[in-house]
Amino acid sequence: MRPEMQEYNYDWLMGKTLATAARVPLGTKKETELTYRYIPYFKNIAKTLIDAGDPGIQALKMMSQYYENILTAHAQGKKIVATTFCNSPAILYAMDMVPVTFEMLTAIGSMVWKRGMFDYMDFCCEVGMPETSCSSQRGALGAVLGAVLGGLFEKIDMVICDTPGVCDTNANAFAFASEYLDKPFFQLNYPSSIGDDRSQQYHIDDYKEMIKFAEKHSGNKLDYDRLAEVLSEVDKQDAMIADLEDMLMLKPTPVPPVFNLLLYAGRFCFSGRREFTLLLESMLKITKENAAAGISGLKNGEEKLRMFMCYIDHYTVDLNFCHFLEERGIAHIGSILTRNFRDNNQYAQEMPGSSYGIDISSPDAMLDTIAQMNARLPMVRSIRGPYDKKGMWLEESLICAKMYDADCVIYNGTPGCRNTWGMVKPFARDMEKHGYPTHIMYDDAFDDRVESWEATRERLDEFFKIRGLL
Amino acid sequence: MNVFHDAATHVECESIHQWKKTGKPVVGYTCSYTPAEIFHAVDILPVRLRGIETEGMEIGDTYFGPFICSFPKCILQLAGKGKFSFLDGAIITPGCDGMRRLDECWRKAGEDFKGIVPDYFYYFDVPHKAENHGMAWYLDEIRALIKSIEDHFHVNVTDEKLTAAIREFNKGRRLLGEIETLRSQDNVVVSGTDVFAATVAGTVMPREEYTRLLEDWLAELKTRIQALNTGESRVMLVGSISDEIDLFKLIEDTDKAIIVGENLCFGIRYEGNEIREDGDPIEALAQHYLGSSVCPRMYGKYKERLAMLKEKIHQSRAEGVIMQNIRFCDLHGAENALFERDLEAMGIPCLRVEREYGPHIDAGRMKLRINAFLERMDAARRQL
Repeated sequence: MRPEMQEYNYDWLMGKTLATAARVPLGTKKETELTYRYIPYFKNIAKTLIDAGDPGIQALKMMSQYYENILTAHAQGKKIVATTFCNSPAILYAMDMVPVTFEMLTAIGSMVWKRGMFDYMDFCCEVGMPETSCSSQRGALGAVLGAVLGGLFEKIDMVICDTPGVCDTNANAFAFASEYLDKPFFQLNYPSSIGDDRSQQYHIDDYKEMIKFAEKHSGNKLDYDRLAEVLSEVDKQDAMIADLEDMLMLKPTPVPPVFNLLLYAGRFCFSGRREFTLLLESMLKITKENAAAGISGLKNGEEKLRMFMCYIDHYTVDLNFCHFLEERGIAHIGSILTRNFRDNNQYAQEMPGSSYGIDISSPDAMLDTIAQMNARLPMVRSIRGPYDKKGMWLEESLICAKMYDADCVIYNGTPGCRNTWGMVKPFARDMEKHGYPTHIMYDDAFDDRVESWEATRERLDEFFKIRGLL
Repeated sequence: MNVFHDAATHVECESIHQWKKTGKPVVGYTCSYTPAEIFHAVDILPVRLRGIETEGMEIGDTYFGPFICSFPKCILQLAGKGKFSFLDGAIITPGCDGMRRLDECWRKAGEDFKGIVPDYFYYFDVPHKAENHGMAWYLDEIRALIKSIEDHFHVNVTDEKLTAAIREFNKGRRLLGEIETLRSQDNVVVSGTDVFAATVAGTVMPREEYTRLLEDWLAELKTRIQALNTGESRVMLVGSISDEIDLFKLIEDTDKAIIVGENLCFGIRYEGNEIREDGDPIEALAQHYLGSSVCPRMYGKYKERLAMLKEKIHQSRAEGVIMQNIRFCDLHGAENALFERDLEAMGIPCLRVEREYGPHIDAGRMKLRINAFLERMDAARRQL
């Protein structure tokens, strides 16, 4: 790692940047301009979010709080858990622990910093991770591993992941972190099927083992009253997510493109916490106002194209992807990360066995609830088994594309996404057979060095032009 | 030895050819977590699927994306070319992300290349943990696999037949264990290339024939007195899946090294432990195949694998370790880095190298890296 990078603690630097940005709306115009000088690389995103109104401000506060939790965890006697976006943090909050979600940290860093997370990604490779491993973990992992260089990041206390057999590259990064930093490791493991009794039971058995592990290494017993509180909050959040998802179906959709990102960022960071509820309330209010007025969530008000991201979005510097959608009049009608598969969602009705419900009537019911909820997070639900089997990626994508009236389907990921790269070509062919123009992006959602944003943008434009979509 | 080399270097080797003449079925499988004993028990020839003899990648690249390891791509390429036409069935296992997607890619390729998908095509869902519920899942998977084989091939898999199959496979394991002991001596009388060929042959040959030939070969080896190592370094080869004799030859043809051990998916990795021959044979198979956590797909078991590797290094008296991973094989790539860190700290020289599987297009580069490493080892020895 470059020596100058070692001069700053990554977590502290990022936390203070976000905290500063979150305070911008409180100041006068002069104060605002002055503050922007202190966050030069983050200025564009901060402006974008602040311009989005209260939801953007709530999002900044939420992200700032996320880092604040990490920075103060040990002082408060809390354990820090390295985990993945497909593992709900709700259980960790219920057990008074602090999650460090690698993919979220990498995404935030990639958007905020001019050089993205390149230095940290490369540091991972310096210590042995293959350069072909997924950038979404490598960015944050590089910073976390930087703890060995003298405290670039708060020391993590344990590692919990849930992607073995769903995304081996992901699981491998967490296993590596555990060994490299000599921290306890637990993997939740999902079968290739979902919805049948046998798989459901496996989810519960495995989840119970995870709780035992977390109790052992945190010293905290799971408090079921607290779990009930967290799940009640999740229940509220799910209802609002369902409303937002329903409104994505409207034409034009009243949901601004950036709300998609905020929706899942909130869920991955603060599921079951008040911070995410506030963000959802704020997004829902604006979306409902747009819907009542019959206007598009796009800034220019004209929805020219409805695009369904069948996998993930693009996260590099300055939220370029969101700006691109706004400029072209493209409505973002969701990605694999947007859907939560709660039983009250319309698409879930089309796929029996795909969803979860919430029941807090007893400890066993709560454990069942949270285990099944966790098993429906992105990736671990949709791409755990053969893509063309019942309830998997193809069926989900077709149902969503139809229900949300997509004009086209876009695949975006990272070169490290071995699992989807193993099947995306036949998948795209199947989507085309069903009438959906489908484009495979060959970039890296977190690393512009793989393909520059400018090249990615050109390829998207070319696709839209050749297929007569724009 | 010629039979072993034929089996190790040809997808449809003579043994398979002869077996087919009897009209008995052949089932291919992709992963070492598939208990081959089940097939042997009912006179089905289990054949580990491989990608050797691949001459291009146009079919593999059509269905798999660009960032996928070349091993499953080579298998798909051969399937598309009809090289697996001798198969009556295939078992796909989620060994890793690339290998499990062979399921979809092979089936989808079958829509374009008629007749390349065997009539019996089965997805065997092996969990990533061997704890109670993981083991229970795996046991159920084995039972479901047995039921499916019985239904499709009209056979009856009994406990007695399974136990007999376990005994037969254990014979081979014991013989390979003896060969391991033999090459741990000061004077190494057999090349690593030959031992690996014999090991790979065991994954494709009818087991009785294999055991008989292995017994004969071991007896012959015991009579050898001429050492093959006359100053060469003793090295061990570990890492990504490999059934490539050429890789072993490439190392030993430098005349600077002799391979005295390996820790590879196709090698003598499972052979250290025999399978229990008493009690419930299905439980014995499950304990053996899932319980040993030898592959990095079993996350969180690095320390066990490191201990196993250290033991192998100690037993074989290897002086250095060559760690290879196929490009895009992150599991072995990352684990090799940890091995390197821990073994180098113990004073064991290690070479970590990334490569492609299949046609040895990067043989020159590999040779350069390996030569440099062996020279480093040699120089270090001279200083002692």
